[in-house]
Amino acid sequence: MNKNQLLWKRIVQHKTLYLLLLPLIFYYIFLRYWPIVLAWIVAFKNLQMGSGVSTSPWVGFDNFKFIVSDPEIATAFKNTVQISLLRLAVGFMPPIFLAIMFHDMTSKTLKKYAQTAVYIPYFFSWVIIYGIAFAFFSTGSGFVNNLLDMMGLPRQEFLMSTDWFRPILIIMSMWKELGWGTIIYMAALSTVDTQLYEAAIMDGAGPLKRIAHITIPSILPVVTFVLCINLGHMFYAGGEQVLLFYNKAVMDVADIIDTWVYRVGIGNMRFSLGAAVGLLQSLFGMILILASNHASKKLTGNGIW
Amino acid sequence: MLNKSKSENAYQIFIHIAVGIIVCASIFPLLYVLGMSLTTLGEMQRRNFFVIIPMEPTIEAYKRLLITDYIWRSLGVSIFRSLIGTLLLLCLTMTGAYVLARKSLPGRKFFLFFILVTVLFNGGMIPTYLVVKQLGLTNSVWSLIIPMLVDSFGLLAIKVFIENLPDEIIEAARIDGTGDFQLLIRIVFPLTIPSLAAIGMFNAVIHWNNWFDAMLYITNKTYYPFQLIIRNMFSSGMSSLDSALTMKASQRVSAETLRMAAVIFGIIPILCVYPFLQKHFSKGMFIGSIKG
Repeated sequence: MNKNQLLWKRIVQHKTLYLLLLPLIFYYIFLRYWPIVLAWIVAFKNLQMGSGVSTSPWVGFDNFKFIVSDPEIATAFKNTVQISLLRLAVGFMPPIFLAIMFHDMTSKTLKKYAQTAVYIPYFFSWVIIYGIAFAFFSTGSGFVNNLLDMMGLPRQEFLMSTDWFRPILIIMSMWKELGWGTIIYMAALSTVDTQLYEAAIMDGAGPLKRIAHITIPSILPVVTFVLCINLGHMFYAGGEQVLLFYNKAVMDVADIIDTWVYRVGIGNMRFSLGAAVGLLQSLFGMILILASNHASKKLTGNGIW
Repeated sequence: MLNKSKSENAYQIFIHIAVGIIVCASIFPLLYVLGMSLTTLGEMQRRNFFVIIPMEPTIEAYKRLLITDYIWRSLGVSIFRSLIGTLLLLCLTMTGAYVLARKSLPGRKFFLFFILVTVLFNGGMIPTYLVVKQLGLTNSVWSLIIPMLVDSFGLLAIKVFIENLPDEIIEAARIDGTGDFQLLIRIVFPLTIPSLAAIGMFNAVIHWNNWFDAMLYITNKTYYPFQLIIRNMFSSGMSSLDSALTMKASQRVSAETLRMAAVIFGIIPILCVYPFLQKHFSKGMFIGSIKG
């Protein structure tokens, strides 16, 4: 039997398995690959309200020329990167501190209850998170404004203020994700040999010394890994959350790529423009992820894949 | 010696206080929202909308929400997508992972690559919207289910799990002449149930929480999921709420109370499945799956 016949025989042997795989293949072709193909087609066409993909005219690079010259898109790109960096600057360290504190708590029961409490908000939808933000920051009945009022201070329009938009966005996403962020570090810490700590205590190392010499070095590769993933997501600044939190009054500081694509691409039915911006976002995003994965592998020997 | 234990104690006190503050910050907003959802209009006005513990608690807001037609319907849509969507996802995940775990399958590497590409690169919001439209799914519950039929990470996690099953079990069955399909149903599936349950629970939560897909694909309010209804209660004031609801309700509870009651309704199912979820993610299963 030659090689081809052998291969054919093996394929026939596995025919049930191929049949079982078929639904999955269909799913990936129609719902994952077809959108990618459409993205490349539609970005070079002029698809708007009323026309179809096949009937709309090809326009070459017109959509991209528009993107480069449009100030609103430039603002959206700038805001996206700024908000991502802000999230990283404020939100990156706290989960590490919290994980170290959980790790060092001597009362295991308290630790368990505390973990249970801080993980919960991660599983709430962004709609719920907005509801809670509203309960605290709305002008008329928000908790914070009621406090200000009680202290004789004027009420603030937190949710409509360009100064407050980003701080509130970040406070609320930290409320949702702080606890969850500790999990990856807790997993790394659970593998640390407890004998190391015992030996350090014998040698007279205090708690801070143990953190500096045992705890931090043992999670450092994970820290680098998480940092790289975060940098790779620079062009995704949390579209779902911003879409819920923003309004006309704060557009200048709030509009990001995702919200722009939704508002103009879907809302105004300028599908081609939206698809072109999405394509750029996806391409830049992929380059960043590949680069940061490479960096992570270089620095820690640990890649995303 | 004394000095050392002093610093140990001080450190323990410090971290317990710090963790305590973070725990309070996690829990207090929920209690505050719960309190507001139970407050009467009279008390709200008397206390200038600053109520932490209501003195005369009322479940009026919850009743008002539950007697409203479209809220019932939206709860139905959310429950349907969470249950049926997850069930279908698990079927695809089970069969797909089972096949992809078979090392002897010709083309296995290609199929895995085929899946991994989509983790790295996706079409984006607009092309996906166009595909859902082309498939004729808009304004139907299926637009909320079909695009979410596969969770690639979950699929790969189950694949790794099946690969790690002891070879003897599989081999013994195959020597007995069990066919591939029988092997899946009789042996692999029962062993995989706990992991499938975990993946299913996570995806049920994602389904329950998703509102944005409905905003894209559904314009007919009949098919709005509950999260989108909550969102509309906040975004456009009460105007999106049925005026009858507001009129009747306004005699007893404020708009704020109704909104907070809706938030609590949106949270309850999550709290119900949370203990099961925590059991799984604390095992680190998902971190393993992402890196595996």
